[in-house]
Amino acid sequence: MDIRWVWESQNLAQRTLEHLRMFGIALALSVVIGVLLGLYLYRRPKLAPIAFNVLNILETVPTLALLVLLLPLLSLGEKPTIAASVIYSILPIARNTYTGLTSVERSYIEVAKAIGLSEREVLLKVRFPLALPLIAAGVRIAVVFTMGVVTLGGLIAAGGLGAPIQTGIHLYDRDIIIVTGLWVGALALILDGVAALIERYLRDRYGRR
Amino acid sequence: MVGVERVLGAFGEHLVLTYASLFLSIAVGIPLAILSLKSKRLASFIMGFANLVQAIPSFAVVAIVVPLLGIGFTPAVFAIFLRALLPIVKNTYVGLSEVDEAMIDAARGIGLTEWEIIRYVRFPHAYPAMFAGIKFAAVLANSIAILTAIIGSEGLGSLVFEGLASFNTDKILAGSIPAILMAVFIDISFSYLEKRVTPEGIGGG
Repeated sequence: MDIRWVWESQNLAQRTLEHLRMFGIALALSVVIGVLLGLYLYRRPKLAPIAFNVLNILETVPTLALLVLLLPLLSLGEKPTIAASVIYSILPIARNTYTGLTSVERSYIEVAKAIGLSEREVLLKVRFPLALPLIAAGVRIAVVFTMGVVTLGGLIAAGGLGAPIQTGIHLYDRDIIIVTGLWVGALALILDGVAALIERYLRDRYGRR
Repeated sequence: MVGVERVLGAFGEHLVLTYASLFLSIAVGIPLAILSLKSKRLASFIMGFANLVQAIPSFAVVAIVVPLLGIGFTPAVFAIFLRALLPIVKNTYVGLSEVDEAMIDAARGIGLTEWEIIRYVRFPHAYPAMFAGIKFAAVLANSIAILTAIIGSEGLGSLVFEGLASFNTDKILAGSIPAILMAVFIDISFSYLEKRVTPEGIGGG
């Protein structure tokens, strides 16, 4: 197998950069939207069951179906790919943020109030830091989702590493499929590993025992 | 427009593909989970492997199956099986192993054999987790079954890919809408099934 030939003929260096760029944008958007939604639902807990039910239903939609349904709205390429990634990734992050904020032990809150912290301070200085390990766990799930969707983006002309995989399948070229497939797999494992390390660090730092 | 027969035919193929793979995953996954109960080493190996493969994009799994098994229905079933197996094994094992030790002792005390303990004590307690795993696997299978059309599995995905290639929105909709309805149906029916089979007083969610 000629790894170097595949790497150069398929432009894998540039494809990897495209891939990571989409991944980065999508994940950053998901984290911002997910955490904000979690905070909002914490303030309006009555809306939480409805919001999570809707997100749960979206979560079951087949990835490729969601991608192609976004085409008429966002046309081909990066936009629908990033939008679909965000739609899938909001749920784990928002749900974990919400659960993390609401499940803080009462005694911590009472101590915080007793030393005169306002509601706002309790939220930002007590609840939020204690929720961080769970939020990180949600982000880790989102990392896996986003990686999956971004790879599929290759099918709707978004570039990234899905594009050479598609080429490999169409040409029935064993080398391209194996090299690119394993490279995407390795990249996914590395990113998941990094997310796991961050989650562990936050658990050690803020975890409840 | 896309003919009704074409859509129905594709839907039928999609169902066979999804459920054949899901059935295979259940048939392999549950015995694997039971085996993992017997050996801590096997359990940690299987759990580690499951966590690892779950992080790999489905498209990469589907693609890598091609050099191994070629294209067509069987490679597609194998790719879906690989992805759907893991949540089933993982959840079933977690459900089976998290039964209260006191309960197991009591069962042993009244003279149940190891097998009877698994069958009558561990399994009923594992149902909620097990069904959650199977539901997740079914949703995943339904999703990947669209994608496998790219390696020649036929089904609803082939309508989607044809639509994509010819910018034919009708075809894209004819392929994707039934798959979405199917996902919602799976979610509702498996949740219902879970409630039906779980004995009263167990799990509760």
